[in-house]
Amino acid sequence: MKELKYGDKIIRMEGVIVEIHDGCVGIDLKGRLGYLKIPMRMLITDYPLVVGQEVAWNTSFVEQLGPEANDKYVSNLDTYNRRQEEMRKANAKTKEVEE
Amino acid sequence: MSITAETAKEHAKDPAVLCCRAEEGITIQASNLEDPAIFDDLVDSGLLDLEGALTIEQVLGAKLTKTCDSLCPLTADVVEGAKVVEEAAEEAVEEEVPEAVAPAAPAAPVSTPGGVLKIHIGEGKDIDIELPLGVAGGAAPAPIPAPAVQAAEAVQAVAEEEKIVRSLTRKHYKITEVKRGPETKIEGTTLYIREGIEKECVESQELVYDLKIDIITPEDYHTYSETIMDVQPIACKEGESEVGSGTTRVLDGVIMMVTGTDANGVQIGEFGSSEGYLDENIMWNRPGAPDKGEIFIKTQVTIKEGTNMERPGPLAAHTATDHITQEIREALKALEDDSLVVDTETFNQVRRPGKKKVVIVKEIMGQGAMHDNLILPVEPVGVLGAKPNVDLGNVPVCVSPLEVLDGCIHALTCIGPASKEMSRHYWREPLVLEALHDTEVDLCGIIFVGSPQINAEKFYVSKRVGMMVEMMDADGAFITTEGFGNNHIDFASHHEQIGMRGIPVVGMSFCAVQGALVVGNKYMTNMVDNNKSESGIENEVLACNTLCHEDAIRALGMLKNAMAGEEVKTAERKWNPNVKATNVELISNVTGKPIELVKNEQSLPMSQKRKEKYD
Repeated sequence: MKELKYGDKIIRMEGVIVEIHDGCVGIDLKGRLGYLKIPMRMLITDYPLVVGQEVAWNTSFVEQLGPEANDKYVSNLDTYNRRQEEMRKANAKTKEVEE
Repeated sequence: MSITAETAKEHAKDPAVLCCRAEEGITIQASNLEDPAIFDDLVDSGLLDLEGALTIEQVLGAKLTKTCDSLCPLTADVVEGAKVVEEAAEEAVEEEVPEAVAPAAPAAPVSTPGGVLKIHIGEGKDIDIELPLGVAGGAAPAPIPAPAVQAAEAVQAVAEEEKIVRSLTRKHYKITEVKRGPETKIEGTTLYIREGIEKECVESQELVYDLKIDIITPEDYHTYSETIMDVQPIACKEGESEVGSGTTRVLDGVIMMVTGTDANGVQIGEFGSSEGYLDENIMWNRPGAPDKGEIFIKTQVTIKEGTNMERPGPLAAHTATDHITQEIREALKALEDDSLVVDTETFNQVRRPGKKKVVIVKEIMGQGAMHDNLILPVEPVGVLGAKPNVDLGNVPVCVSPLEVLDGCIHALTCIGPASKEMSRHYWREPLVLEALHDTEVDLCGIIFVGSPQINAEKFYVSKRVGMMVEMMDADGAFITTEGFGNNHIDFASHHEQIGMRGIPVVGMSFCAVQGALVVGNKYMTNMVDNNKSESGIENEVLACNTLCHEDAIRALGMLKNAMAGEEVKTAERKWNPNVKATNVELISNVTGKPIELVKNEQSLPMSQKRKEKYD
């Protein structure tokens, strides 16, 4: 496993809960620094969940592990996007028929 | 931060370091000393040198001969009247018991909430000093086995009769081919699935838009699949018998596999992604995974868009798939030809009065959506008649070991493919099997407890677990959990609730590097790490890091030692896979039985690039 070069530079990140589902929450990082969607079990909750609650966690910056793309993930991503596209088209067609 | 007299006693053998400036001539007390828990970090960062430092027990009550600043290690030249403590005696005792079982083994990282103490000196030039406080996050204590004595226990075992409470018989039917046909039936070793059954599956569930069945034979293992949501045995009860007793019929050589997406093509188990080529993503022969050579009846369910993360979504996908399984079960029930039975297994639920009474607490997910489990269906791993543990409020539910082995849990398994416990895992649960067959312990039952989302609820259910174990008069308890995340909060709380009643506890979880425990308490001393992956991470290979036979043996050995009053050595700071190797070796040396370790992801076909990335 490749060691991180900057892994010990811990910064505090804050965010706002913007989406709540039964199995996950969506979090907007403050300052428009990104969006994070995490499964429920990766979130520690002391209070009932409400949209708009602020959250915080410690993190380091994200760094690349190497220059190569991993074929497995590229192939999975391609398949995934292709399927989604097909399904979107199929959905659109069904809607047209219904109308 | 200074320490109390009690902490000083616990750390009597640790180095003595001043917590704050102390004047010449004072008598050293516990309140002058720093907590040894933080030393490792200070030594690592070069801020502290412990060479020549006296131990806490040596300096207590002695006189300081020189004014020293904070974080100054107390050495012989600044202390007058240090006690001399003999240490030789203790080591000798350890060597006298070479035949003792010495399992112990967790590589369970406990990271206590720490933080950084910042000292800013503003005058003149700015000087910033950063000191890590507490044990740094991610520290991975990995204990080294402590020799233990078992003999004493054997002597006190009263010769009481074993009692068979109930029995369960499993009849195995071999399937070598799965085909589609006009009706669902079993002919010889061929299973036919009715053509057109997909339509009924879809119609049975409002949220299900489409369902496809793929029959995957070993030749097709190298095909793309969506995320694997579950792996289930195909079994039914015979006649009037109920789950957990009587006779169960099960098909060998074939399993059900649930996969799916929502109508927009988003994975249902969005976070537990094991999509990709089946043969690269499955850790064969794990208790919860398919065995190499088996045929998969794989459903690919499409549910209403956007429901993949809501409770009804994953449940609908499972229920629709169960429509097919149920039809196969009916065909299996209808078989009258006993010559098709290739093997018969009998499981006896044995109680052993007079032996140490142990209970297994299995923590199951209950945060909602795919974090849910159906408890006690009418048919093994069915849906009908079962209650979701989320609806039960995640409170503990007691079941018999045979109910577990007979499919009383239908798991809507969720995150982290490598650590999730599939429905099939319970069907072949190694810890239950080991404890049931171990003649030295009396397994009284299994407690399933859900892991709710909110902390207040976690502590609510955890207290019930403590009360339940207290009433059982158990002598020891195992606590297992699957995966990592906030479930480690209740995992820790269960340890506390059971431990504070004076009952020894052994915990089992995937920890290693990535699953480091987020909390800890003083009862979490005996831990077994389920990790098998080379690098100690979630490696996206189905069931790779789940509880296996080798973990069950280590846990049993450790609990026996704990019940005999042996202490497990403190874990090392970082995850060290050698701890497990040493313990396994020690156990097999003592029992005389070699323990074969299971393979990990290194045995699977893997692209060169992935290899470089991960290992």
